[in-house]
Amino acid sequence: MTKTAIHVDHVARIEGHGNVHVVIEDGIVKTVEMNVVEPARLFESMVRGRSWREVSYISSRICGICSASHVVTDLKAIERAFGVQVTPRTRALRELLVYGSYLQNHATHLFVLAAPDFVGQKSVFPLAETDPELFDKALGLKALGNELCTKVGGRSIHPITAVVGGFTHELEAGEYRALAEKMDEAAAFAAAAVDLFASFPVPSITTAGDMLAMVEPDYYPVECSDTARFLDAGIEFDANDVAAHLEEYEMPHSAALLARVRETGSPFFTGALARINASWQHLGQNAKVAAAKAGLRPPERNPFMNNVAQAVELVDALDRCAGICRALAEPGGVEGSSEPVDFEVKAGRGVGFTEAPRGALFHALEFDDEGRVVHASIMTPTAQNVANLEADMRLLAEQLVAEGAGEDDVRGEIEKLVRAYDPCLSCSVH
Amino acid sequence: MSGYCIACQEKPATPRVVVVGLASCFGCQLQITNAEAHLLDVLGQIDVRYWQLTSSDPMPEEFDVAVIEGAVTTEEAEATVRQLRERAGVVITIGACATTAGIPGMAAAGFLERPAQVYAHVPEACGEMIAPRPVQAVIDVDFEVRTCPVDSLDFVDVLQRALYGSNKAVPTRTMCGDCKRNETSCFFGKQQLCLGLVTRAGCGARCVNLGRPCNGCRGLSPDANLPSAREACERYGVPVADFDKALEMFNQVNPALQTSE
Repeated sequence: MTKTAIHVDHVARIEGHGNVHVVIEDGIVKTVEMNVVEPARLFESMVRGRSWREVSYISSRICGICSASHVVTDLKAIERAFGVQVTPRTRALRELLVYGSYLQNHATHLFVLAAPDFVGQKSVFPLAETDPELFDKALGLKALGNELCTKVGGRSIHPITAVVGGFTHELEAGEYRALAEKMDEAAAFAAAAVDLFASFPVPSITTAGDMLAMVEPDYYPVECSDTARFLDAGIEFDANDVAAHLEEYEMPHSAALLARVRETGSPFFTGALARINASWQHLGQNAKVAAAKAGLRPPERNPFMNNVAQAVELVDALDRCAGICRALAEPGGVEGSSEPVDFEVKAGRGVGFTEAPRGALFHALEFDDEGRVVHASIMTPTAQNVANLEADMRLLAEQLVAEGAGEDDVRGEIEKLVRAYDPCLSCSVH
Repeated sequence: MSGYCIACQEKPATPRVVVVGLASCFGCQLQITNAEAHLLDVLGQIDVRYWQLTSSDPMPEEFDVAVIEGAVTTEEAEATVRQLRERAGVVITIGACATTAGIPGMAAAGFLERPAQVYAHVPEACGEMIAPRPVQAVIDVDFEVRTCPVDSLDFVDVLQRALYGSNKAVPTRTMCGDCKRNETSCFFGKQQLCLGLVTRAGCGARCVNLGRPCNGCRGLSPDANLPSAREACERYGVPVADFDKALEMFNQVNPALQTSE
């Protein structure tokens, strides 16, 4: 009997701590585990008893890179629980905040974390010497995301100004126009990033599971909708009913709870690739052209294409944010004020839902009549993705073994697959 | 261990640095990469031997400086920081989690009941969980960078101190004075709680400048006068219980807070 055991302790260039274990016996893939060992900080327990005023501030700390998404999701949950209606202007600002984290996240993931895989390096830093222009522009795009978050949220990580009902601070019209110009200037590089990632050869596999994304008629939604859809099962549901459709379960090898579609038992993928599959027709013109050129059209089921999908979203986000910034700069361009609206604190339950850079994010919060948290449940995209990632790792390993690939190749390609999922393990455990 | 200075060594060599993340949101490590314009200038002065976030190189046996992010929440993490202390000449903590236990530290209260509130059966992958604590509760720490998340340039400043030495005193005053200097109005006048009253200054009152009260992320100032702060709350119609509850966010494990009650 020949037995090959592949162990990657602490997969590098992903956010958080995780190990991969694959065991192959006589050419048959026996074990495939994504061992998530990120320390559990127990946020759901920690926010119990805390005031509605503090809860978004605390849950922001689940994740540095997706902090804007955690804040906006939490605010949506609180507002649904209390019955607060925010203005279109507040929603526009929240969309900018979420997109700021897309620019940061996607640029960091693609260039700092994923790209070294495809150019045969262990880190991004050699790239600074071999291709300084690419390095500068990639960091520039990430910096623009940080700037957007900083201008709108007050800080690039853990936004300050976004509160229940609105914002505590807003920019001057000129600052919005300046941001829009920077978005326009970055557009050419984002389009080139799509070409670059489309040019990297990747294994051809078809994901094992379903896909989950936010949907909205006539729009590419990341914040504005409360409706989610499992694309294969065709199940559409309101975020308030998430627990009826998304089943969380425990496995000893993962500190993150895994997830599957309750009705079908299938694992699923959530993230840029699922969003593009769900809302391709609502991408902006430039993003659509870039996607078509890269051969990315629904149905696209190769998880490695998540890298290209993120690059396409960079193109889309820049155009969309430039438009939002220009509208915000015009008097009356976006209805209402961003000043926090008045509301009454009361007992209730609400589920906040956004598309974080890594996929569908749900915060379910229940409050007592003093506005203190009675129960919290947080479902992060990476936790939802772990089961599907394991299923895809198995498919990939089986395919490579059948092609006669050696241990190093299997290990290398599996690490690339893990990174293509852009896991955020600190989010996944929380 | 404190007082170790690489610059004083006979043969100045490029300091070898490792960056390690414990229980955290990774935000402070990201903030280092967010010093985009200065990133290569900073990294050019040091030899980054190990930084899992950005590179797949393994952890080396020898290094000079350990930069630690995150709170200690497992026995395994406790062993890691002890090992880092043995090997490193200089230990720097970055961010609230590593420095005061920060937000993860909130779970220290009633810790034993908490895992069961999240898991039906705590997965093996969680390791041997212990009540969260800051790095300095386990080992001696030479330098700290506060705030949640750290300011990129603050990190650069502290790194420079660690590498080249500095006799600049670390400020211990409370943040309230910064608002007076900035001429920003006070939340207490609007019957709103703000922790600037007792929180260590140094962030320039960033949140207050943007219309949001201080949540105390730099931790309790050693100069804080808690009884007086509670009196101020009463005077302005802010419930003292709210003040004490809010302080838990970044100071749950601070011994000064435990004894003052």
